[in-house]
Amino acid sequence: MPGETVTATRLGADSVRDLLAGRDTNFWPALREATRAAQDFSETLSLATMRKKALRAGIPVTIDKTIRLAVAGGSSLYPLNELLEQMIGAASSTGWWHTELWKGDYDNYISEILDPESELYAFKPEAIFLIPSSQRCVYQGALTDSREQQHAAAVAAAEDLLALCRTAHERSGAEIVIANFMPAPDFDPGPYRVRTLGSDWNFRRSVNLELGLNAPSYVHICDAEFLATRRGAMNCYDARAWFETKQLYASDFAVDIAREVASIVRSLHKPSKKVLALDLDNTLWGGVIGDDGMAGIEIGGTHARGEAFRQFQLAIASLAKRGVVLAVCSKNDYKNAAEPFEKHPEMVLKLSDIACFKANWEPKSENLRRIAEELNLGLDSIVFVDDNPAEIEIVNQFVPEIETIHLGPDPAEYASQLLNSRFFEPRSITADDLQRGEQYQQQAARAQAMGSSGTDMESYLDSLDMHSTISEFTPVDVPRISQLINKSNQFNVTTRRRTEAEVEALLTDRSRYAFSVRLADKFGDNGLISVVIVAVEEETATVDTWLMSCRVLKRQMEDEVVNEMVRLAKLRGCSSLIGHYLPTEKNGMVRDLFPRMGFTLVEDTPERTTWQLDVNAFTPHPTHIQIDRRAYPTNSPEN
Amino acid sequence: MTQTEILAKMQTVFDDVFLDDVKVTPELSANDVEEWDSLLQISLVLGVEKAFGVRFRVGEVEATKNLGEFANLIQRRIAEGAKV
Repeated sequence: MPGETVTATRLGADSVRDLLAGRDTNFWPALREATRAAQDFSETLSLATMRKKALRAGIPVTIDKTIRLAVAGGSSLYPLNELLEQMIGAASSTGWWHTELWKGDYDNYISEILDPESELYAFKPEAIFLIPSSQRCVYQGALTDSREQQHAAAVAAAEDLLALCRTAHERSGAEIVIANFMPAPDFDPGPYRVRTLGSDWNFRRSVNLELGLNAPSYVHICDAEFLATRRGAMNCYDARAWFETKQLYASDFAVDIAREVASIVRSLHKPSKKVLALDLDNTLWGGVIGDDGMAGIEIGGTHARGEAFRQFQLAIASLAKRGVVLAVCSKNDYKNAAEPFEKHPEMVLKLSDIACFKANWEPKSENLRRIAEELNLGLDSIVFVDDNPAEIEIVNQFVPEIETIHLGPDPAEYASQLLNSRFFEPRSITADDLQRGEQYQQQAARAQAMGSSGTDMESYLDSLDMHSTISEFTPVDVPRISQLINKSNQFNVTTRRRTEAEVEALLTDRSRYAFSVRLADKFGDNGLISVVIVAVEEETATVDTWLMSCRVLKRQMEDEVVNEMVRLAKLRGCSSLIGHYLPTEKNGMVRDLFPRMGFTLVEDTPERTTWQLDVNAFTPHPTHIQIDRRAYPTNSPEN
Repeated sequence: MTQTEILAKMQTVFDDVFLDDVKVTPELSANDVEEWDSLLQISLVLGVEKAFGVRFRVGEVEATKNLGEFANLIQRRIAEGAKV
C-alpha cells in the first residue's frame, strides 16, 4: 500500500538510501521528507546524490512542476545550485519539482543584469535569485562621519540593489529573490561598532533594513541576516571556503539559504494555508477534559505547564488576528469540549474565535473533510495540529492533502513548533491588510497622545487601561490559588502555606471570606495575581493571607484589594480590620504595606507587627483600575 | 594512527559520499573516478574533517596529489592536535 511505510515516522538519509537500494516506490516521498528535514551540507548533498542515482535507476517520479531559476551573484554559485535544486525539488507536496537552472559567473551579476543581451535574459527565467557581493556593501567614509552621511550611503546602497532588481524584473518578467547581507561576525571596531552607522556591522544592518522596507512586491528577500543570526553569525562565514572556492556561505549555512529560497519559490506557486484545525486535550491544554474536568486541566495560572499551553494559545490567537481561520477537531463530547472555551478564565481562545467546532467520536479525517465543506475551502488549505501520532497518521493516510503538525512531547515547544512550521506566512500585503495597518496606526497615535500628556505615574497608570475581576474562591481556581499560596514569598504578609484540600475547604468555610484577583491591561491578561483570606470573628476581620504577584507591583492593585477587604468586612458586620505582618527573609517588600494602606500600628514585637483599620471611617482608595466584577456578587458573605 | 588505519577510516567517508563502490588506495586521485567532481570533493573534505576531528588550512588539500598524500596530511593534523 503506497504511503504506508513512509508516513509512519520521520525518515533520515539512511532509510532513503535503503529505499533507493530496493528501488522502492516510496523513495520519492521519503526523499522529499528527508530533504526538508536535512540539517547540514553533507546530508543534503548526499540526498542530492541519491536523487541523481534514483533518476538513473529509473525509479518512477512525478514531476509536477518545472521551475526556471536563474542564479546570479558576487560569489561562486556552485555548489549552492545543487542545494537549491534539491530543496526546490522537495518543495513539492506530492511529487517532485524539477529545477531548470541557469548559473551566472562569479561576481558578474551586475553586467549580467545590465546587458539586455546577456545569457541571463536569453534563459527566460521565471525567478532570479540574486546574491549581491558583501565586498560591495561597505561604508567608504570614516567611522566618525555624520550619521546623516552614513545613513545616506546605506540608503544609496539599497537603492542600487533595488534598481538592479527592477531592471532584471522589467527585462525578464521574473520574480526576484534577493539575499540580503549576513551580519559581520568580527569584533570590528570594538564596542564603537554600535555607535556609528559606518561599521560593517551597522552598515550592513542599515542596508538590509532599507532594502526590506523599500522592496516592491516583485522582490522577495531571502533574509540572510535573520537566518545567520538564528544560526550564529560566526558559523555562517567560512574564510577558508571563501579563499579556496569563493563560497559566500559556510557549507551548513548554505543549506539554510537554499531552504529559504525554496520556501519563497514554493510560496510563489502555492496558495498559503488558511485554516488551523486544532486538537484539544494535551494540545490546547494539559490533561483530558472528559476525565480531569474544568478544575483538573492545565492551562495558564502559575504552573509552568499551564503557562506553556497558554503561550501556545497566544501564538494561535496571533495567527487568527492575521486572518488564519481556527477550527477545532477533537474526539470529545461536545459539551465537555466547549466548556473550557466558555467558562475557563485562563483560556485565551474563546468559543467565538472558533469558526468551526467539531467535537465528536467520528474519525478526525471525516471531521476535517466536514470542516473544509462548511468553510467552503479546499482540503489543501487546512493544517491540522495534534499531539497524538496515531491521529496525525490517520489524517496523513486518509486526507493527504492536509498538512499536519505533530506536536512533540514538551508543550514548552508548541508555540515554536507552530511558528516554525511556516505554514501561515503572509507573502504579500493586501489592501485589507493595509487598511488594518492604518487602523493600528490610529490606535497607536491615540496611545501616544495619551502617553505624551504627561510622563508622571498617574497618566502612565491611566494609559494602561487596567481592568480587574475579583472573585470569591471557585473550584476551578483552587489549583492555582494553592500554588500561589505555596510559592509566593515576596509580596506575602504572613507566608502561611495551605494544601489544596485546605484551600478547597475554604469554599464552604463561613468563618472566613476569601477572594482572588485578576488583572488585565492593554498589553494583555496577567491572570490570577492576588489571593486574600480574611478570618471573621464577631466584629473583627483579620487578614490571614494576603499575597500578590510581583509583576503587578505599583499598579494600585493593593489599594483595590484593601477596598475589597473593607467592603466585604462591612457586609459581614465588622467594624475593625486587623492585619499582621510576619517578617521572613524574603518579604521585606511588604513591611510597610499596611501603614501605606492607612492602617495604624497597634502592636510591634520581633515576631510580628499588628495593624488596625477602622472600616467605618474608611474611604475607598481611588485608583486607575476598572473593577469589572466584585466577589460574592449574589450570595452575601454572611450566608 | 598509521596510514593504513587512516585509509580504512577514509573508506567509510567515501562510501557515504559516493554511495558507490570506490576503493580507497594510496595512489587513488580524483582523475581515476568519473563521478569525483568538485561537488563531491567538497563533501569528501567536510566528511573527512568530521570523521577525524581535524581542520585543514587554506590550500592544503588542493596541494595533495593522491589519497596517500591526503592521508599523510590527516596524520600530521591529528599529531598536531594530539600535542596541544
